[in-house]
Amino acid sequence: MRVDATELEIFKNMFHSVAEEMGASLRRSSFSPNIKERRDYSCAVFDGEGRVVAMGDHMPVHLGSMPISVASVMSALELGEGDIAMLNDPYAGGTHLPDITMVTPVVIHGTGAMFYVANRAHHSDVGGAQPASMGLTEEIYQEGLRIPPIYLTRGGVIQRDAMTLLLANARTPREREGDLTAQIAACRLGERRLTEIAEKYGETKTRFYLDALQAYSARLMQAEIAAMPDGVYRAEDFLDNDGFDDRPIRIAVEIRISRDRARVDFTGSAPSCRGNVNAVLAITQSAVFYVFRCLLQEDVPACAGLMQPIEVIAPEGSIVNARPPAAVAGGNVETSQRIVDVLLLALARALPHRIPAASCGTMNNISFGGVDPRTGAPFAYYETVAGGMGARPSADGLSGVHTHMTNSLNTPVEALESALPVRVRRYSLRHGSHGAGKYKGGDGIVRELEFLTPVRGTILSDRRRFPPYGLAGGKPGKLGKNELLFGKRTIALSSKANFTAPAGAVLRIETPGGGGWGKDVRRRVAKLSVTSPHIRQLH
Amino acid sequence: MRIGVDTGGTFTDCIVADGSGFRVLKVFSSPDDPARHIVRGLRELARSRYIEDVIHGTTVATNNLLERRGVRVALVTTQGFEDLIEIGRQNRPQLYNLNVQRPAPMIARELRFGVRERTAADGTILLRPGKREIERLRQQVRSSNADAVALCFLFSFVNPENERLVAAALRRLGLPVSVSHEILPEFREYERLSTVAINSFLAPAMGRYLTRLEQQVAAQPTLGVGRGGYKGRTCATRLFIMQSSGGITTADRAASEPVRTILSGPAGGVVAARWLADTLGIRRAISFDMGGTSTDVCLLDGPARTTNETTLAGVPVAVPVLDIHSVGAGGGSLARLDAGGALRVGPESAGAVPGPICYGKGGDQPTVTDANLLLGRLDPDHFLGGAFQLSRGAAIQAFERFLREYSRKHASYKDPMQLAQGIVAVSNATMEKALRVISVERGYDPRDFALICFGGGGGLHAAELAASLVLAQVVVPPNPGAFSALGILISDSVRDVSQSVLLAVPPQAANNGSREAKRLAADLNRRFQQLEHAGITELRKDGIPNKRVNIERAIDLRYSGQSYELRVPFTPEFLPQFHKEHERAYGYSAPQRPMEIVSIRVRLTVPTPKPPLQPEPLGRAVATAAIICEKPVWFNGSTHTTRFYDRARLRPGMNLNGPAIVVEYSSTTALPPGFRCRVDEFQNLVITRHAR
Repeated sequence: MRVDATELEIFKNMFHSVAEEMGASLRRSSFSPNIKERRDYSCAVFDGEGRVVAMGDHMPVHLGSMPISVASVMSALELGEGDIAMLNDPYAGGTHLPDITMVTPVVIHGTGAMFYVANRAHHSDVGGAQPASMGLTEEIYQEGLRIPPIYLTRGGVIQRDAMTLLLANARTPREREGDLTAQIAACRLGERRLTEIAEKYGETKTRFYLDALQAYSARLMQAEIAAMPDGVYRAEDFLDNDGFDDRPIRIAVEIRISRDRARVDFTGSAPSCRGNVNAVLAITQSAVFYVFRCLLQEDVPACAGLMQPIEVIAPEGSIVNARPPAAVAGGNVETSQRIVDVLLLALARALPHRIPAASCGTMNNISFGGVDPRTGAPFAYYETVAGGMGARPSADGLSGVHTHMTNSLNTPVEALESALPVRVRRYSLRHGSHGAGKYKGGDGIVRELEFLTPVRGTILSDRRRFPPYGLAGGKPGKLGKNELLFGKRTIALSSKANFTAPAGAVLRIETPGGGGWGKDVRRRVAKLSVTSPHIRQLH
Repeated sequence: MRIGVDTGGTFTDCIVADGSGFRVLKVFSSPDDPARHIVRGLRELARSRYIEDVIHGTTVATNNLLERRGVRVALVTTQGFEDLIEIGRQNRPQLYNLNVQRPAPMIARELRFGVRERTAADGTILLRPGKREIERLRQQVRSSNADAVALCFLFSFVNPENERLVAAALRRLGLPVSVSHEILPEFREYERLSTVAINSFLAPAMGRYLTRLEQQVAAQPTLGVGRGGYKGRTCATRLFIMQSSGGITTADRAASEPVRTILSGPAGGVVAARWLADTLGIRRAISFDMGGTSTDVCLLDGPARTTNETTLAGVPVAVPVLDIHSVGAGGGSLARLDAGGALRVGPESAGAVPGPICYGKGGDQPTVTDANLLLGRLDPDHFLGGAFQLSRGAAIQAFERFLREYSRKHASYKDPMQLAQGIVAVSNATMEKALRVISVERGYDPRDFALICFGGGGGLHAAELAASLVLAQVVVPPNPGAFSALGILISDSVRDVSQSVLLAVPPQAANNGSREAKRLAADLNRRFQQLEHAGITELRKDGIPNKRVNIERAIDLRYSGQSYELRVPFTPEFLPQFHKEHERAYGYSAPQRPMEIVSIRVRLTVPTPKPPLQPEPLGRAVATAAIICEKPVWFNGSTHTTRFYDRARLRPGMNLNGPAIVVEYSSTTALPPGFRCRVDEFQNLVITRHAR
């Protein structure tokens, strides 16, 4: 069989629609604000060998990590028709504990799995020391219930013991059950659609184009890398601290471009830390995948072939490849952003006129919980706050927008206040927080939440010490800031902190602005230099 | 006499019901002054008869929003939320694009004013704006030189007191004020705010356009002569505007609520499709409108449904809009090979200028229209009734050049014919995807549906699409190019009113006949009656006679804790109906879960008399009389000797067998081998597969 350009395009679109359709169903029928409003979920289609064929345009941080989940399930369990595996263990294919992933095989004519489909959703709470399971912790055991790959359904029947165990460990079991049901339904949907495709086009042809798509996406990425100047590009940047020891955490990278291949080496990055900003390898791979996919000129669905020309080296036991029992809740949301910053900084040397200055660089994670006085029921809530986007070599950065590894939506004020004992006092742009330059960075956000009942909570943020860098003479963006206001008192919170707040207290978050690009004075060719006191581009 | 007018990018279609049929006139649009050509069209069609009503589908709101042409709007909102219009939902439209852009906010920062006021989720007023506060605001708005005001406070849909207070004060400035609880008393502050902002932004230009059109109509000696007045105007011809919701409203209402007209034209096609399906006794149909740059599809399971989740030009529009799904595949869609060797078609389009290669207006990149021409499905000599010669030679040359340029990129095409087939196949796949999105993805089986196909290019692709989705049949109405104008002509007057209620359904209410069920029904009935009363008052104010008003009640429900609602008609069975809908849409339902009523909706309809279609007797004549010529045409990878028929000469009762091509003034219909076509008693082409 020969690859036909027409059919290649048709198969590519079909598989991508399946992933998108699973996502739409999950979003619309789920219960966690994280899934339905913030869209913190991903759905993907894999071939029988576990290579991703298409992933919906959902959450970049899941890009590289979904395939690891499928691989982990394939090696741990024997999945048959009607079985769905579930996992969240970051050390067995997961990312951080709130992300629960489901994997199901698609068996055509009883000859082993021809496809797998997987979906992952961020659940509001999976137990652990802090409500919403995004607390400041030192070990994974404090972060919530850890689920290695297990059967959630067998032969189409839900395993009640697995379900009840999970529900017994979450603060909001009813919501969990609703979300898990929606995830199961999305798996079934994917299975149904893929079966239809295989039956319509026949097994042989479908398998042929599954392979052709891998080769196709590899070609796309090779062409892109080949267009970059060969060379070795290095950079480093830092996380503020790990929430326990007030020491900066270094992330360093060396990108080697030779012909149509890239080697991305994180040797020299800090060892794993005591807090929870450790990233498992899946996160690091996602960040690399994200950056290279952004460079790709073509709009294509994520496919394993795209990563084929790229080699990732991440030393075991380091901040970018943590080992158990390191805590990891923040690796997914904070460290992933910094890895992107470092990668882009290194690539700015290779492609000075394509790479933007640093964006906000943190997801500003807020989580809190307590008891709702109206109902007497416990609640747990988690949200992220956007910031400023870094300026581009030909345009200002956007203001108040999620960048890089997240694209989650805010929860509408009218939805939040109707559901929980909290009042939003302010949600505005943080004017003047951008980095100046020929092109300005975007402004960050100011958000004030008033608690109407006593709560326990956690703020997990960064860029409160080292600002988002400017490029080519542009100024860095402004640092972020966290405060708790009560009466006339203002308590400064550090970038990562657990807190308890009485009713009437206000949590005030000011998020960082994006870095500027180019000197403010207009000139024709801007020379590349990095303007942030703490980081260097290593030559 | 009533005339329907649909303004498009290239043509303005006018249609009038005349005796047993319709008369259609196409005139070129004049984007600089759309009113001028409309009046010319009216004059020609009316032939000095008195026109009572002009019903108009307009792109003024759509184009002004797309091009961000509007007035200086002052935004007045709850203090602390002035930037919400810029932040939106804090996401970006594309994930993997470092150069991603968001459309510039319609209202600049210096025109946003916060008011110290607050209402809680339960409607309690926590802070009432004081006299001094309101006075300060008036000063600020006055000195801002704004031309219009958009007003939106948090939780005004629960309790509009604060909005009313401030609106009254601002209206005394003499500026038009769009108020959120009046336009859309529904929850989700950003979507409501955006809707109100769009309305203020567009209202003055819409008002000017409609006034000008009314004046021009009135100035015609042969138009506007007649008895009676229309709201005290000298113009006796009444002007109605098509709304995106599929109903018409008065020009005055459209001028003050232009946000309701952003999909005015496409809505006409859907209404016409519903009407045609009803005439033919078809309940389940899909309207399929293929134009030059995009294809619009809409699923009709009974009455056309509306959605409140439309996004246009990057901003949400939360008023009811017919649930039309649009994809970037049309006759002008451009083809290219990407770096990995896959054939891409669209969404980039050659548009009207330069257009497809074969138009000879400077286009040099292969388009879907060029591909259809090369395959022989378009007849170069009979395009637009032969008024316009298509250049096959230019298209072939360009295709050959395309293949040479791309030969290194793993291209698998031997010759231009293969490339042309590829282009048609890929664009069919895009359209098929659109049809799947509205059917399969929402739990409908396409096999139960008829495809009602219109627009310039629909007929060329419909049969192949129907085959791959196994649709029951394809119906191509006469004058497919003017079908949207027809829909506009026959649309009913519609007023939609809604109210978010966020009401928990007590668990016992699921039990029909229980005290809770009765109490809930009584409560809802009271709320519906209030809403209906408000709607009828508005209709009366608009001067629409409301003796025969139909009232439809609907309810938006979800399981408590979900974020998206499903709409069901409000009947005693609305709870079980909701579980059923949930099961269909998402594959599961959870009757034991608590439920929440989010919004209640009322649609008031005053029917427009529909011109009765006179069925013609089915004759026994054979179609050979209508044959123009026989030529080779490519279908399924090879050429077939194919008969070309002139649609004007086809008569009810005639049967055609594929391969065949039916040519008419504004459209072409392709009948591949294995398909047959019957001309029904209303002159529709009804295409089905040969029984095996």
